[in-house]
Amino acid sequence: MHARRHAPESEDHGIDLAPMLDFTINLLIFFIITTSFIKETGITVFRPAAVTAEFRDTGNLLIAIRENGDIWMDRQQVELRDVRTLIERLHIERPDDSVVIIADRAAGAGMLARVMDEVRAGGITQVAIAADPNADGG
Amino acid sequence: MRRRRDAGALESSHGIDLAPMLDFVINLLIFFIITAVFVKEAGLDVNRPTGFEQPPENAPESIQIQILDNGEVWVDNRPVDTRAVRANVERMSAVSPDSGVLIIAAERAPTGTLVEVVDQVHLGGIYDITFITQN
Repeated sequence: MHARRHAPESEDHGIDLAPMLDFTINLLIFFIITTSFIKETGITVFRPAAVTAEFRDTGNLLIAIRENGDIWMDRQQVELRDVRTLIERLHIERPDDSVVIIADRAAGAGMLARVMDEVRAGGITQVAIAADPNADGG
Repeated sequence: MRRRRDAGALESSHGIDLAPMLDFVINLLIFFIITAVFVKEAGLDVNRPTGFEQPPENAPESIQIQILDNGEVWVDNRPVDTRAVRANVERMSAVSPDSGVLIIAAERAPTGTLVEVVDQVHLGGIYDITFITQN
């Protein structure tokens, strides 16, 4: 131990960290620019299938409607009347967000319409209904 | 202390000590890795009527499709299969080319059927879809 501390003074100052640092910083930059801060719903729902569904880059505010009409957003269950307030708050934080409503296949269209209206009342007019473009119908 | 300063002066080609910066950068990297979410939702765009409560917006030129509680689809006062909606929409849009589609869904109509109908209308070439509900 003692000898070792004295020995490297002259020639060696450890391995060269520069290539690793370059690589790490590249990774870091990659993860920074791909971060999109999606608000996930917190539950899994059975999405309807649609061939013409398009992937959206800006759809990062997700609202799920379960089969029994429960609404989930941002990893918690919310009431229909709270959706508008939450959307208003998130819309102020990030004004270019758009909403994707993930409704279960068996959820009622009435609840879907009411949630869409609440979102629009909260100030976000870009609302889409989620669908799975890869499912084989049914 | 003295020896260290000497050593530093001797090996001035080292530059500054990168270790703290490296620690910091790697912490940042770990943070971004574990918060990264690679979810991308696919969706269909559907309009809602602009009024807060749905006004019966029965513009005569729009193609109307009704979805009942039990998932039955009615076009033109006839019950049709969901897979036949495309053909019906194509036929009716050939008659009146730039007409939109109005989907009138019942309160408890399943969303799966609604999305299938929207999909079929898209396949039929119409992307101007308005969606209202009624009891």
